[in-house]
Amino acid sequence: MKKFFNVRRVLSIFLLLSIAWTLYAGWYKMTFWGFDLKSDATTDVFMVDAHITFKAHGKPVKVVLSTPHGYSKFKILNEKITAKGYHVKKDENTGRITLSSPNRNGEQNIYYRLMVYDTADSRGKVRQEEKITIQKPIFDDEQMIVVDNIFEQAQNIEGNEVQQLISLFNQTPLDENVQTLLPVKATRKIRAELLIDLLALKNISARLVHGVRLIEGKKAAMADLMLEAYDGYKWRLYDLQTGHEGLPKNFMVFQRGNVSLLDVEGGVNSKIRFSVLKSVTSSFEMAEHRAKLSSTDKFFTSSVYALPLWAQNVLKTLMVFPLGILVVVLMRNVVGVPTMGTFTPMLIAMSLIETGFVPGLICFVLIVAVGLILRRLLATLNLLLVPRIASVVIFVILIIQVLAVIGYHDNIDVAMSALFFPIIITAWIIERLSIIYEEEGFKNAMTESFYTLLTAIATYFVIKSDTVRHITFAFNEINLVILFLVMLLGTYTGYRLTELKRFYPLLKRK
Amino acid sequence: MFGFFKIPQQLKALGILGMNARNYNVISKYNKRRLYPLVDDKVQTKEMAVKNGINTTRKIAIITYQHEVKSLKQLVKDWPEFVIKPAHGSGGKGVLVIKSWKDDAFITASEKILSYTQVYQHISNILSGLYSLGGQYDVALIEEMVHFSDVFQNFSYQGVPDVRMIIYKGYPIMAMMRLATKESGGRANLHQGAVGVGLDVKTGRALTAVLHNKPILRHPDTNADLTKLCVPYWKEHLLIAAKAYEMTGLGYLGADIVLDKDKGPMMLELNARPGLSIQIANSAGLKKVIKKALKNYPAGLSAEARVDFILSQN
Ligand SMILES: Nc1ncnc2c1ncn2[C@@H]1O[C@H](COP(=O)(O)OP(=O)(O)O)[C@@H](O)[C@H]1O
Ligand SMILES: [Mg+2]
Repeated sequence: MKKFFNVRRVLSIFLLLSIAWTLYAGWYKMTFWGFDLKSDATTDVFMVDAHITFKAHGKPVKVVLSTPHGYSKFKILNEKITAKGYHVKKDENTGRITLSSPNRNGEQNIYYRLMVYDTADSRGKVRQEEKITIQKPIFDDEQMIVVDNIFEQAQNIEGNEVQQLISLFNQTPLDENVQTLLPVKATRKIRAELLIDLLALKNISARLVHGVRLIEGKKAAMADLMLEAYDGYKWRLYDLQTGHEGLPKNFMVFQRGNVSLLDVEGGVNSKIRFSVLKSVTSSFEMAEHRAKLSSTDKFFTSSVYALPLWAQNVLKTLMVFPLGILVVVLMRNVVGVPTMGTFTPMLIAMSLIETGFVPGLICFVLIVAVGLILRRLLATLNLLLVPRIASVVIFVILIIQVLAVIGYHDNIDVAMSALFFPIIITAWIIERLSIIYEEEGFKNAMTESFYTLLTAIATYFVIKSDTVRHITFAFNEINLVILFLVMLLGTYTGYRLTELKRFYPLLKRK
Repeated sequence: MFGFFKIPQQLKALGILGMNARNYNVISKYNKRRLYPLVDDKVQTKEMAVKNGINTTRKIAIITYQHEVKSLKQLVKDWPEFVIKPAHGSGGKGVLVIKSWKDDAFITASEKILSYTQVYQHISNILSGLYSLGGQYDVALIEEMVHFSDVFQNFSYQGVPDVRMIIYKGYPIMAMMRLATKESGGRANLHQGAVGVGLDVKTGRALTAVLHNKPILRHPDTNADLTKLCVPYWKEHLLIAAKAYEMTGLGYLGADIVLDKDKGPMMLELNARPGLSIQIANSAGLKKVIKKALKNYPAGLSAEARVDFILSQN
């Protein structure tokens, strides 16, 4: 007894280890490869287009564009610049792209396209940086009174000094004092610049950040703005509308600091327009890219997910088998139902998945029933075993053929699904059923078929779900858990459920 | 409803052995796999029994190849009655008892008349593995027919009553007699509707009887009083069972013993994975008896000494 206890303990330890490993691997895949428990998890991929236009006048042209770099944590799937005739150079350290061309004339079009995903963890972490020297604005006395009024009013607003001013700038109707300092037609940029001036008076360094808000279908004539203010230690980002601090998750920074978003030399009237398009991709497809970005691609390329798609599909079907096996083991060793052949139920279940439940079941019963009738006729011929089973196999093939033809012509799914049943297994079921029927009677034959189908149906419902199939494939370590579970069940010495009924009369007699 | 969850505990308290526990704790522990063929193959069992001086049915012939089948009549020409069975059969499948034959007509124990062609076909089926586990090729064993003792005449409807004994480490620990009924069609399998009569291992006297898991007192067809059943030559039965241990080396086995009118108890077959229904017939748990045996029964005794030990138990 002691020895057996140890086997169980060893297996339990392995089971726990495999569970731990599965959890770890699951976490790893979710974090670095973006795997998800849901089979239909998707990733939003944003396509950001920046369209630069300007007029050239036959002089050499140099265009410098700031592009997302380091600051925002978007994952860049693809980056492309289309500029006919330009020499393109990108500085990987600053993210600035320089386009140059000698002697250009007329309207110029430069397209910069960026595909990004994973907006969720894009909250930029701001490193400690030097502040810039403050350039105090010059206001006349009249204006200074207004400024003082503004500062006074701002004090009563919630938030820090920066947020107070932002709030004041966003009041509707616009605060009178602020209005006085602004020109009649103030753009967002002009307002933002006034804000920076006012902050300078308070000895706070502030500057603008250019970027794009990723909003599906967006078309913008200019870049989106945010405010950056130095708090004596590091730069803090503020939303110019709400005053919220921090980088919103849908804001992609193109430019910040002392450089401009776009510099054009040798051209006039330069404009940059942004447009954003969202597309949805299955997270699974992004896994490889994620692996690369997180430098875990060494593991990725040696995983099953790096195999060609057709091979992955085969494996996906295979990896759900262990779970089916577990169901069969449970049904036989814990529930204790007799089934025809150990894994016949699972194979039937696999076929049902191809055919659909109800049509498959009807069709299967039909094939077996017809097969049984033919098998009865065969019995009168007194054939030897192997040729007889061989004949049954051929019967099955013929039945399937007939059903398929009928099904196709009359458009009956039930009949068409005949094509998906494993021939040998079906033949074997027919043979076995007819022998049970002959030897142990109709009742026994029915009982055994019932339990076989019952187990098949139970298995079917377990392995049918897309989520289950997705999980057993995406988190395939789970199959190790199943393995040790099955092994542990191999040491299960408790009563089977059906034995409780079988031995129950003994309790009454005592 | 809550009562349901108590059943396992209650069964455990009775010492009932379940299938999983039988396989895991008993069979895999006491029965080495390489010994299985000795009992799974009736030909080997028979040869061993003869060697060990255990009374068993005599082998008449073995048919191994298809071309030998046609010499059937030649092989049994000196035997007015005989039995054909698959060497690797189980559950009575493929057993053909011929109680008389002449020329082209073979009369079975259940009075069916078979033509020579049918018998020929039957043997072919045995050879091709129809009745053996996994459908492997098999051989047909032809052996002498047992003349069943009249003692049990009233107790069985057709068919042949046999004693099933469970032997643990050479000690017979539980016994039952299986009686065919109309429903079981002359077969002695409890789940097919045969009557199981639990026997006192010490005396061979009936303790309890069950039909379909329910206790009964009288045979459903013959109306015989089952409580009166008492197996004669009980000590000889025990001895055959005990010797089967030395013969096979299996620590846990079942022995089927039949009583011949003239030759006394004969071993019909052995089983390395005997079923659990015997517990129902006896209203007693095997686990309990095994535990008791493990604790109290001495090891290293001869078969005779073990039988004496059993008989001296109270
Ligand atoms: N030699 C025999 N004489 C008479 N009946 C026999 C003989 N052998 C077998 N039988 C009958 O056939 C049944 C099954 O035979 P057995 O040898 O136990 O094979 P199995 O392994 O299939 O149970 C026995 O219970 C008995 O009724
Ligand atoms: Mg038998």
